[in-house]
Amino acid sequence: MNSKVWMVASLVIICLLSAFALSKVYLVTQPRIEKQKREAVNIALSQVLPQADSFKPVIPDTLWYGLDKNGNKVGIVIKVTPRGYGGTVETLVGLNMEKKVTGIRIASPAEGLHETPGLGLKSRNPDFRNQFKGKTATEIRLKRDGGTIDAISAATITSRAVTEGVRKGIEKYSKYLKP
Amino acid sequence: MHISPAKLFLAAFLINNILLMRFIGLCPFFGVSTSVSTATGMSVAVMFVMLLSSLVTWVLFHGILLPLGLVFLRTAVFILVIASLVQFVEMALKKYIHSLYSAMGIYLPLITTNCAILGVTFLNIDYKFNPLQATIFAVGTGLGFALVIILFATIRERLADAPISKSFKGYPIAFVAASLLSLAFMGFTGLFGISL
Amino acid sequence: MIPENRPSRLKYFTSGIILENPILILMIGLCPTLATSVTAQDGLGMGIAASFVLICSNFVISLIRKIIPSSIRIPIFIIIISSFVTIIDYVLQAFEPGLYQVLGVFVPLIVVNCIILGRAEAFAYHHGIIDSILDALGKAVGFTLVIVLMGIIREFFSAGTIFGAIVTPAGFRQSPVLFMIFPPGAFLLIGILKSIVNRLNENKGK
Repeated sequence: MNSKVWMVASLVIICLLSAFALSKVYLVTQPRIEKQKREAVNIALSQVLPQADSFKPVIPDTLWYGLDKNGNKVGIVIKVTPRGYGGTVETLVGLNMEKKVTGIRIASPAEGLHETPGLGLKSRNPDFRNQFKGKTATEIRLKRDGGTIDAISAATITSRAVTEGVRKGIEKYSKYLKP
Repeated sequence: MHISPAKLFLAAFLINNILLMRFIGLCPFFGVSTSVSTATGMSVAVMFVMLLSSLVTWVLFHGILLPLGLVFLRTAVFILVIASLVQFVEMALKKYIHSLYSAMGIYLPLITTNCAILGVTFLNIDYKFNPLQATIFAVGTGLGFALVIILFATIRERLADAPISKSFKGYPIAFVAASLLSLAFMGFTGLFGISL
Repeated sequence: MIPENRPSRLKYFTSGIILENPILILMIGLCPTLATSVTAQDGLGMGIAASFVLICSNFVISLIRKIIPSSIRIPIFIIIISSFVTIIDYVLQAFEPGLYQVLGVFVPLIVVNCIILGRAEAFAYHHGIIDSILDALGKAVGFTLVIVLMGIIREFFSAGTIFGAIVTPAGFRQSPVLFMIFPPGAFLLIGILKSIVNRLNENKGK
C-alpha cells in the first residue's frame, strides 16, 4: 500500500478506535460517577444529622431539610464557609428542631477545605468538633471570647473562624427550623 | 468561579505558584534552570504557549466538546492541540520572526510534554473559569513560572561554584534550594485572604 | 548470536527498579512524585494509576509497532497513552472517588509523565511484546516504590501514621512535624533521598 495513504489511514483508524473505546468507558462509568457524587453528599449530611433518614435540598449546596421515615422534618443541615488563616474552611452544621447542634463536619482538603494544610487538618480533629454537639448558638464562642468552645492549640484563628462561622450560620438559617 | 481579576492574578502568580506550590512543571524547572539565559528562554516560550493554548483549549472545550457530549475526549484533544500548536508556532517563528525563533526555538519542542501547559488548560476547565479569567490565570501562571525558574537559576549558578559535599552536588542541593524557595513562597499563603 | 551473550529478559524488569529507577536515577516523573506523596496511600494510588497506563500503552505499542509509520509515531503514541489515561480517570472517579479527589489534576496529567512517552519511544517501539511488558513492569515498580516510600516518610512525620495505622505515641501526633506535609518538605525529602543514592553510587564506584 502507498505509504502516505497508510500514514493518514493509520492515524484515522487509531483515533476512531480510541474514541470508540472511550465512549464505551464513559457510558459505563458515568451513571456510577453520578451516583457516587450523590451518595458522598448524603453520607456527609447524615454524619451531622444522624437522626434524619433522607435529605431534601432547599437552597442548593447551602441548606437541606432532614426528614425522618415518615417525611417529618427532624432538623436542618447548613453549609458555611468561614475564612480561616490561609483560606476558607467548608463546614456542615446539623441542627435539630430545638436549635441545638447535632454535629459539625469539616470538609477534607479535597472536598473544599482551602485552609493551610496543617491548620485545616487540626480543625478536623474530633476533640474539637465534638464540643459543638448539643449546644445552642449563644454558647458557641471560643472560651477566650466568653463562650464554651476550647480552641485548638496553635490554631486559634482557624478555631475562631469555624466557631464564628457556625454561630452566624445558625443565626441566619434557624428560621428554616419552623415546621 | 467568583473571584476578582486582581486576586486571581495574584493567586496564579504567587500564592498558588505552579512550580513551588502545585508541583506542576518540575521537569523543566530542574532541567533548564542551570543558567539564567536558558531559564529565560524557556520562560518566554512557556508564557507564550501557555496563553495561546489556554485560549484555544477553552474555546474547543466549551464550543465543541461540551455541546457535543464528547468530554471524555478532553485529555486526548488537549494534548494533541498543544502538540500541534507548538509545531505551528515553531514553523511560524522560523519563517517570520527569526530573532524570536533563535531565542526560544530550541525550547519549543520540549514544551509539548511540559505538564505546566497541559496542567493550566485542565485547571481552566476544572475551576470553571470564563474566557477572561482563563486569560488572567494563564498570564499569571506563566509569569509565576518565569519568576521562580529565573530566581532559581540565579541560585543554581552560585551553587555551581560552592563547596558542596560530593553526594549533595547537582540535583540534591538543587532540591534543598527549591525547598527553601518554596518555604519562602509559603509566606504568601493567606495573602489578602485569597485562595483558589 | 550466542544465547549467553543476550541480556537475560529478566534484566529488563530488574533494571527499572534500581539501576534505572525513573525517579531517583533518571530524574523524570517528578511532579506526581512530589505532589501526591502526602500519605503512603495517596502515593500508592498514584503509583498504580501511572503503572496501569505505562504497562497498557507499552503493550499496545509493541503490539502494533510494525504497522505504525515512523514519521507519525509520536502522535499515535500520544493518542494511545491519552486513551488509557482517560480510562483510568473515569474508573477512579467511579470506583475510588475519594482517591480521585486527592489526586486531582494529576490523574489527567499522567499523559505527560515523561516516563510513559519515554518508554514508548525508547523501548516499546523497538522490542517485542513480552520484553516491553517486562520493561514497563520494572519501571512501574521502580516508580511506585519511590512514591510510596516518600508517602510513608511524609505521612510518618506529618501525621504519625503509616498507611493510616497509628505508629507513634499520642504526644507525637498532637504536634507532629507538619513541615513534611507542605511542598518544602517534599523538596527536602527527595533531595535527601537523591543524596543517599549518590552516596551509594560513589561507594560502589570505589
